[in-house]
Amino acid sequence: MLSTQEVTNRWQIVYRRFLERSFNILIPLGAILAAFLISSTLIIARGANPLTAYAALFAGAFGSTNALANTITRMVPIIMTGLAVTYGYRSGFFNIGAEGQLFMGAMATTWMGITLVGWPAWLLIPASLLAGALAGSLWALIPGYLKARRGFNEVLTTLLLNYITIQLFEFLIRVDHVVGPGATFLSWIGLKDPSQPFPKSAYIAEAARMPSLTSVITWLGGTTEDPALQRFTLAAVIAVLAAVVMYILLFKTTTGYRARAVGVNPRAAQYMGINVMRTTITTALISGALAGMAGSLEIMGFQHRVIQNFLVGAGYDGIPVALIGQLNPLGVLLSALFFGALRAGANRMQIVSGAPVSIIYVIQSLAILFAIAGTVIDLRPRRLKQAEIEEAKRVEAELAAESPSAPAADMLGEEVRHV
Amino acid sequence: MFEQLVEIFTSVAFYAAVIRLTAPLLLAAMGGLVAERAGIITFGMEGMMLMGAIGGAVGSYYTGSVLGGLAFAMLAGMFLALLYGVMCVSVGANQVVSAVALNLGALGLSSTIFALVFSNRAVGVVTEVVSVPSMQPVKIPLLGDIPILGDILFNQLPLVYLALISVPIVWFVLYRTTIGLKIRSVGEHPHAADTVGISVVRVRYLSVLFTGLMAGLAGALLSIGMLNTFQENMSAGRGFIAYTAIIFGKWEPLGIFLGTLLFGLADAIQLRIQALNLPIPYQFWVAFPYLVTLLALVLFVGKATWPAASGQPFKREGK
Repeated sequence: MLSTQEVTNRWQIVYRRFLERSFNILIPLGAILAAFLISSTLIIARGANPLTAYAALFAGAFGSTNALANTITRMVPIIMTGLAVTYGYRSGFFNIGAEGQLFMGAMATTWMGITLVGWPAWLLIPASLLAGALAGSLWALIPGYLKARRGFNEVLTTLLLNYITIQLFEFLIRVDHVVGPGATFLSWIGLKDPSQPFPKSAYIAEAARMPSLTSVITWLGGTTEDPALQRFTLAAVIAVLAAVVMYILLFKTTTGYRARAVGVNPRAAQYMGINVMRTTITTALISGALAGMAGSLEIMGFQHRVIQNFLVGAGYDGIPVALIGQLNPLGVLLSALFFGALRAGANRMQIVSGAPVSIIYVIQSLAILFAIAGTVIDLRPRRLKQAEIEEAKRVEAELAAESPSAPAADMLGEEVRHV
Repeated sequence: MFEQLVEIFTSVAFYAAVIRLTAPLLLAAMGGLVAERAGIITFGMEGMMLMGAIGGAVGSYYTGSVLGGLAFAMLAGMFLALLYGVMCVSVGANQVVSAVALNLGALGLSSTIFALVFSNRAVGVVTEVVSVPSMQPVKIPLLGDIPILGDILFNQLPLVYLALISVPIVWFVLYRTTIGLKIRSVGEHPHAADTVGISVVRVRYLSVLFTGLMAGLAGALLSIGMLNTFQENMSAGRGFIAYTAIIFGKWEPLGIFLGTLLFGLADAIQLRIQALNLPIPYQFWVAFPYLVTLLALVLFVGKATWPAASGQPFKREGK
């Protein structure tokens, strides 16, 4: 039996955790609200009514199945790139290159879908997804290797690689895709549909496309008239699953623990016996795979082919999505919803109220600034801060008596059992 | 084909283009260098350039003069720099992250301002290309008459001259003046600087504002220098390239100058060679400047040594 004192203590801990958790959500929410408030001055300057504008924005994002389909379509790639940035950032690898890795993933997936046309869906879908992940991974290996082995700043290398990747893409969608007789290496890797003059690929095989709600309804013997349902696809489910998997990987496995240890303090991690070089390379591979899959899911789930400018900026958007999501994979889902909804509703806002689409960038930017400022300044009530300090002192005192590896783990705010 | 290449590389216009394409990068990078040496990461120059570009266009439009445009450009760049300073210095937030956010904000703000000022009220979008007063090349007396060299260096836009002379000026200030010593000490060892009575906060704020001023001018060079209008996202990554050049040049003015010159050269080459119809796809040439920079970085520059306190917010002990 627990004494009353112990019961009270346990409840206090639960209560504190609850407060702590709600603050993790309250800060971004407050930041978003403040961003909307400040941005409304720009809308007023335009001579429009902010309330009308925001109502239109909301309706454009959630008002109908079609609007909802738009929001989900926008969400899927930024969930994946948001996860890519989150995982990299947690491990000290700031992946600005998600944009390029996404393009590599989209190209690899498209190539599978237009080349292996005879394959059955149960094989082609996972294979295409895997190809995208692999392409993104390999592309991230370049900056990962350069950082781990030679100490090059990854922000720089990934950024330069993005520009190069986009041009590679621009080139390949202009090379006729010919396999079999008469094919050269170039035509083999080319992506353009030879039967038409424009820089775009053929549609990928039916068997390579993600099943949609419409096909599920048909399979169950029902019928549906709503074309928007075709855009509710398995891609969205996979993106959500990916977030859950990444949460477990990051917070519940040794791999994730090592990654975070390197992210917090590489030198301390080294002393703890973690191979920092290998961890950095693994991180780059995982981050790249996620970004590559962003491209795959876009192609397999929604567009079914690559075309010039098919998805610009989703890689860069991963950065703010990750940050507003408090660098937590589950938070990324929520912040992707916010970003996806903004993008989906922006056009309707412009048409209805005259407030220009570009205002949503201002809203996003302010939201990030407030969110990071809110986190750094530590707006938590004094009670929580005090509790944290006391907790830290207690742990420190306990660990002082224990094994020599303990202080290092303590510094990382982790339990020792993970090591 | 060989003759065509010779023709390109022997033409005066080609080298004048190299200088012209180098100038915006150089202006921004020299401004960025000052903040970098004070310990502030200048990943936000992209946004400052964009603000400078719209500021230049709007200022030039309203005042009807290029000088007015330049004043607006500097103010717009410094406005973003001030926000960046608040985040980095006062709040102590992660600098690269703040920069990413402000770059995004500048993209939105510049496009919104462009739409507000120049758009057709009825349609809500910019329906016609608005041209505003823009800078004209100024030939420098005597120097401009030197054969070849005069046409390459001394018959350029005024801001191009400013970019070129900013290299020795920034070098002199950083290494030969007390201000420079303060800046460097704040970037290398803020606590020591604080102990001897240097205000870390003030030095960092002023350095970032200087970056904003220079990046703003670099943006104006794009909007009212090379063109006479604003285009959405017209900085197109040049702020990032300028940042790359700082690391490429290992935080030394001369190295940075060479870095921006390399990019300007690669950029000028790709512009000319694209027109030649070589059996190499033109996308390769568009990627060429980035490829050259990446390869040069990996092959020749090696590991970078950052200013010791780079990216770290300063907090007095015992606070």
